[in-house]
Amino acid sequence: MTWTIVVGVKQVPDDDEIGIDPDTGRLDRASAPAVMNPPDRDALEAALSIADEVDARVVAMTMGPPMATPVLEEAVAMGCDDAVLITDRAFAGSDTWPTSLTLARAAEALDADVVVCGEETTDSSTGQVPPGIAAHNGWAQLTYVEELEPDPEGGRLIATRDVEGGHERVAAELPVVVAVAYGEFEARPAGLHRKIYAENDFEPAQLTAEELGIADEVGLAVSPTAVGGMETVEPVERRGEVVDDVDGLVEPIRGVET
Amino acid sequence: MSAILDGRVGDAAIEEPNYDGEFDAVVVGAGLAGSAAALTMADRGLEVLLIERGSSPGAKNVFGGVLYTPTIRELVDLEDAPLERYVAEKRFSMLSHDDETALSISPGEWRREPHNDSYTVLRGEFDEWFAEQAVDAGATLVTETTVTGLLREGREVVGVETDRPDGGVEAPYVVLAEGANSLVGEGANLKATESRENVAVAAKEVLEFPNGENVIEDRFRLFGDAGVSYHYFGEGAVGEAFGGGFIYTNGDTVSVGVAYRLEDAAANDQSPEETLNLFKSHPRVAPLLRDARTVEYSAKTIPEGGAESVPDLAHDGAVIVGDAAGLVLNNGVHLEGTNMAVESGYHAGRVIADANARGRTDADALEAYGRALEESFVVKNLERYAWLQETVEEDRELLFETMPTAFADAGAEYFRMDREPKAEHASRAKRAVVDALGGWRGLAKLALRYRKVVT
Repeated sequence: MTWTIVVGVKQVPDDDEIGIDPDTGRLDRASAPAVMNPPDRDALEAALSIADEVDARVVAMTMGPPMATPVLEEAVAMGCDDAVLITDRAFAGSDTWPTSLTLARAAEALDADVVVCGEETTDSSTGQVPPGIAAHNGWAQLTYVEELEPDPEGGRLIATRDVEGGHERVAAELPVVVAVAYGEFEARPAGLHRKIYAENDFEPAQLTAEELGIADEVGLAVSPTAVGGMETVEPVERRGEVVDDVDGLVEPIRGVET
Repeated sequence: MSAILDGRVGDAAIEEPNYDGEFDAVVVGAGLAGSAAALTMADRGLEVLLIERGSSPGAKNVFGGVLYTPTIRELVDLEDAPLERYVAEKRFSMLSHDDETALSISPGEWRREPHNDSYTVLRGEFDEWFAEQAVDAGATLVTETTVTGLLREGREVVGVETDRPDGGVEAPYVVLAEGANSLVGEGANLKATESRENVAVAAKEVLEFPNGENVIEDRFRLFGDAGVSYHYFGEGAVGEAFGGGFIYTNGDTVSVGVAYRLEDAAANDQSPEETLNLFKSHPRVAPLLRDARTVEYSAKTIPEGGAESVPDLAHDGAVIVGDAAGLVLNNGVHLEGTNMAVESGYHAGRVIADANARGRTDADALEAYGRALEESFVVKNLERYAWLQETVEEDRELLFETMPTAFADAGAEYFRMDREPKAEHASRAKRAVVDALGGWRGLAKLALRYRKVVT
């Protein structure tokens, strides 16, 4: 059986290029170029490394405007076999609930056996989308994954997960959603010919909300996230004191109220 | 497998991309020379692959100065080009450690279109735009890819090897536009490694003025899009080294830098950063830069070997253009490289298109490029000043240290306000120059030696 591995990727502002406006002290995001979310590069590498071992087809998907196409080209350049742009005005304003629903439906439509995602995106950092995809589809999920061992005979994917204080080795039945730990899978460089092909001759397939049958279930109106308010945290005033020797240190520490 | 992607035309797995033989020419480096060559060939219907190691064209370019546009104007519509300012004033200034003697030139003609085809540009922006013009003409640009070597069959260059996996690509013609540090051309023995006497090191900062409006216009006495190009010589500019300093005005920033021989940087242990800081703090330079903030710092090498250092330009299946071919003129009065880069790229592109039409890739067919350059201003200008580098080196102490001080002393004497008669001042002023430069005889010899710089 050929596995279909779907990788979720997203375009984000390049956080290396987000400057601080020296006059106002505010983050200047607008001038930052759009790049692939860095943890997604780990996801692509993880997916391609599965495909190195088992008979598999790797397909990248992104949800966003046509402007986001370069992240799909980058995925194809790295080695993905195909890519899908999930795009629709109806998606505007979607939070993690409709976003994970959309990606879940797309993964289903693509007959995914494995969905691989990055740990989180650098522009919103919720980490909710991969488990959301699994929940919407009722599939297994493996999060904070540091190593993957495909088991095609058993129809399972075995993962080493980072858990507090150690590691856990778990096997999940397919289909499964994997969120890989950031920094654990070093992305392979794109081959020259693939890169030329992806950037110049490749066109991703497209999917709309309607085609996924979720036109009424996405967008700002159905997004449950509500921002209650924003507060700027004032820096706490710190007290400094220099003591002459170690013995002199005990009293001041003892004096600090907890 | 899902029906959505079944048998799709765009399927990368089915396509097995392979571009060997798909391109007529590969251009190494998307700087001015490379993009000019790519654009010229694409305009003539050739399939061109333009390979750039930076994240975008110009990202690796450090040049900050004047772009001379007579040829570029023929190739593209300059209306949309990211030009900063036209050059309305050139100023040549001799600096001792605390004196300045300067000559300023600002013909009315320069203030009118086409502004003597001289514009300041920021190459990060200009090169990206220029490469885009090549892409619009049909060239294929691939960035973040470093060419590491040439593919050969016997003597013939048949493609390039890059740092990427599956990184070789074959094409009948290769244009080497890799810049002054030409590792590919040298590695393939198409050119000799330049000796350090013939290489200059340049350090440049781009400065902005965060406080206040119109600082550049007010400080440099400018209206609208007018700009300046200031050149500085003497020990106040680059210490004991052989070279100079410069200030160019951009739209909202100024480019300030120094360029001097790598040999001096090594022998005098004079770092580009220190040299630039000294120049910036010269009493006649510092006020121009007051309250400025550095937004960019960079350093590069410049080939200054002149006509003698130009390598064989045509090889079997390959040509060398721009800085990689040593096409830079620096004689103190003229500082040119951008116009030569574009001119060489243009001629190389034209000759390759002709050779391609005749099915020829051999060096003999590509020699026409070298001949075109020889007949153009590029090589003529380089040859004209071939003698200069050596002569200046011989007179270096005189030119860079003694003369700036002598002229400043003469000026101070000539205009001195005291109770002595002017005749006395004039004669002392004259003596300051004549004595310093070796008497009347020395002065005459000097004038004779350097008359060809300007005549």
